[in-house]
Amino acid sequence: MNVQVVYCNHQTADLSVREKLAFASEDDLLRAYDVLRERFPASEHVVISTCNRVELYTAQEEPGEAPSTQELATFFSEFHRLPVETFLGDLLERTGMEAVRHLFEVACSIDSMVLGESQIVSQVKTAYETAAKGNANGPLTNALFQRALTVSRRVRTETRLSEGRISIASVAVGEFGRSIFDRFNDKTVLVIGAGEMAEETLRYLQTEGVGQIVVVNRTSENSQRLADQFGGESRAWDELDGALARADVVISTTGADRPIVDAARFRRIRKTGPGSPVFILDLGAPRDFAPDVAEVDEGVFLYDIDDLERTCERNRAARTTEIARARAIVEEETARFMHDIYHKATGPIVQRLREQWHDVSRQELEILFRKLPDLSADDQQAIGRSVERIVNKLLHPPLETLRDEARKGTPHGLIDAVKRLFHLH
Amino acid sequence: MLNNVTLLCFFASYLCALALETTRLWVKSGVIRWAAIGFAAAGFVAHMAYLFARAGATDLPPLLSSTHDWLLVLAFLAVVMYLFVSVLDRSLGFGLFLLPVVVLLVAASRFVDQATNARLSAERGWGMLHASMWVLGAAGVVAGLVLSVMYLVQHRRLRQKRLLQDGLELPSLERLSRLNWWAIVISVPLLTLGMATGVGLSLVEDPAGETVRLTEPNILISVLSWVAMMALFVWLLVARRTPGKLVAWRTVWAFGFLLLTLIVLEVFSQGGVHGVTRRQGSGIRDQGSGKSGQDSVHRIPHSAFRIPPSYFA
Repeated sequence: MNVQVVYCNHQTADLSVREKLAFASEDDLLRAYDVLRERFPASEHVVISTCNRVELYTAQEEPGEAPSTQELATFFSEFHRLPVETFLGDLLERTGMEAVRHLFEVACSIDSMVLGESQIVSQVKTAYETAAKGNANGPLTNALFQRALTVSRRVRTETRLSEGRISIASVAVGEFGRSIFDRFNDKTVLVIGAGEMAEETLRYLQTEGVGQIVVVNRTSENSQRLADQFGGESRAWDELDGALARADVVISTTGADRPIVDAARFRRIRKTGPGSPVFILDLGAPRDFAPDVAEVDEGVFLYDIDDLERTCERNRAARTTEIARARAIVEEETARFMHDIYHKATGPIVQRLREQWHDVSRQELEILFRKLPDLSADDQQAIGRSVERIVNKLLHPPLETLRDEARKGTPHGLIDAVKRLFHLH
Repeated sequence: MLNNVTLLCFFASYLCALALETTRLWVKSGVIRWAAIGFAAAGFVAHMAYLFARAGATDLPPLLSSTHDWLLVLAFLAVVMYLFVSVLDRSLGFGLFLLPVVVLLVAASRFVDQATNARLSAERGWGMLHASMWVLGAAGVVAGLVLSVMYLVQHRRLRQKRLLQDGLELPSLERLSRLNWWAIVISVPLLTLGMATGVGLSLVEDPAGETVRLTEPNILISVLSWVAMMALFVWLLVARRTPGKLVAWRTVWAFGFLLLTLIVLEVFSQGGVHGVTRRQGSGIRDQGSGKSGQDSVHRIPHSAFRIPPSYFA
């Protein structure tokens, strides 16, 4: 078996290059598979195309049938109508065991921009399913990708690589919000400002089934746009105090150069409301809520961007400590996969060689026993065992060499030599 | 084999379960979780067998038997709560909060009166109502206390902006607050009913011819803790703003006071809230005296349950 991958990812190429090489839709990919099948009929293909990587895996039974990096670069160039020189320097190639290890690392998200992220597993799975849909895969890539998904599962189960939230929105809602509120579908979320972070947090809260959304912004167009996007309502800036009094969750990203709510103001606001717990996410820099707002009463839970970023950082650091364990699993699984594959390649040769030699020895023994009819059954058995031991000892060095070579990759040359030397057909 | 079960058997099991639950703070392992549940379940079976053996020996249900049995029934209910929650939720650190109470109750039961209460067994129907209202109310008190402590721990974590700790995952403040509200609202009426039937029973002349004086210090302390709980109950129902942390603190004070009063009175006083019984039965403690307490209280010999006197020495 021969495997290689030609790829570029967030570590090797800029987004400007990756987006040009990416396959934007499933139709694009299916068209690409048609072209690949036509150009390299002896190869199986799987393409992983995400915003962080474009990777083309190819696999063949015979190494001579593998397309070269130059040929694959030409395919990319012609398919995307790009000059080769604009991306050739960003393409990397790995073959054999290196390619297998690379895929396993990708599937385990060791190679991801966000270490331990879970999205990559479904992306690898989708890539494999799309290849199957485009009739581009085969027994080799099937085995490879199925094992990659198994390795990914194992890493997730046996390490803590995917544990702990690492985005501001997920930390805010998952680590803190859900510890304050049991559910969000009966809560009022107030968004002050209409920044990107507010949008991301709202998106996260929406998956939690948030109830009512109120957006307050100095520019009414922006607040209306955000409110429309998330099915909320827009309020004028001077209604902020009333909205704050009724809100259960406050997300603030105004971009003001000083706090817009101080403790005195917030204390007055709290007195007009029900006094229930309020979860404030101050995502503004500089802060929109003065730090002493947290001291207004025991029901105020105020988190600023630094608090959340510190949590993200701690979680990231915790994941980093798991990389070594994840790599050890990948290494072990890569070796096991290669062994399985090469065993499949050398197995039939080894078996045929053994059978051939033992057949010869049996025939010779029969001739010998016919010539010496006075030999007792015990003598015949003793001679038979001696000859068998001789055959095994003579076979041991070549088979050992074959096995050793197989650990480094399919020993096509050696297999050919054995076949020719011993007339194995 | 279950007839040989001793108090130490399930005390040790619950202690092991608590130790394992504590280990979960540092080591995340499904094996440890199941081992903790396993120890608690083993203790639960032994506990049940022990209560059956006691009931068989006294010919009385545990609730009507003695303070010793009554505390063990309360601990038993707490273990049921622990097992139920732990099996359903694998990440919740419920055992860390509830198992210490279980261990405390089982340990306390060793030091309280094991003699049967003549008054309760004589007025069987009323006695049963009194004891069951008290035990169910007390189970609510234990639940409220544990929920409030959990609330305070969770609240502190959130205010200090600390991450969730493995093995100490807690429900949201909203849920803890809601469950605590129900624990108070259910347990206070039950305890009130239990107390009312207790007062009624004490006014009835007991088989030995003596009645309980309501001015007894033990009775007064019990009434005081009931008043504290009642105040909490009324405040919870009528107050417009009931900040969760304040509710939790008041619950801890009121319920903690009640639970401690209950245990301390039973351990250190002469018969606790049923002080007169013990006073009558003081002759029972003094087995050699041959006094007439045997008419009102039936002493159960320790050897019937194979409890060595040095268990907790």
